[in-house]
Amino acid sequence: MAGNGLFILLCSGEHEKIQMAAMMASVAAVSERPVQVFVSMNAILAFAADVPPSGRYRGGEFSRLLQEKNAPDAISLFRQGRELGDLKMWACSMALDIQHWEMGGLVKGLFNGPLGLTKFLSDAETGQFVTL
Amino acid sequence: MGERTTIDARGAFCPGPLLELIAALKLGQIGDEFDILSSDKGSVTDIPEWCKKVNHEFLGTTEHQGYWSVLVKKAK
Repeated sequence: MAGNGLFILLCSGEHEKIQMAAMMASVAAVSERPVQVFVSMNAILAFAADVPPSGRYRGGEFSRLLQEKNAPDAISLFRQGRELGDLKMWACSMALDIQHWEMGGLVKGLFNGPLGLTKFLSDAETGQFVTL
Repeated sequence: MGERTTIDARGAFCPGPLLELIAALKLGQIGDEFDILSSDKGSVTDIPEWCKKVNHEFLGTTEHQGYWSVLVKKAK
């Protein structure tokens, strides 16, 4: 039986926070918890299409170490969570509007679609809410 | 008796070994055993906990020089 849902509001563009969101989302999803990730603000910049990992992230000491030691890429972790569990990813419609981006401007095959904050918050009432 | 498969995830960082195990489990048959080799010390606690949560059978852990062998049986 599916466990209590996990809802992650990912706003930070820091590599370390995006990595932690990806780790939490993928592990929870493969542990039979439904997971939804809402990506907004600076975080959405890391999900731009056609950007290599070396140019995707901004961060501090751990960002450097994660890349130097070839830790799993956050985008790959989100993908694995989607493939192996019940993980949905939403792009904040406001962030897309501000950037003048359509869904095609984001990493392909990762997002379920654009979503408004109101709908995400409403769905999140049924589960555990984490902000990064 | 099921088959035993060894998954060498040494060098992979958390949650890589767990995700490699899960990908292999999806392809296996009930009763198959998976011996995952991991140098991530978190795997020693994470994999048994995951097995308990999703109802696969954790068979044990063996410590080697610089890595661990975690044995799991596909139960569903």
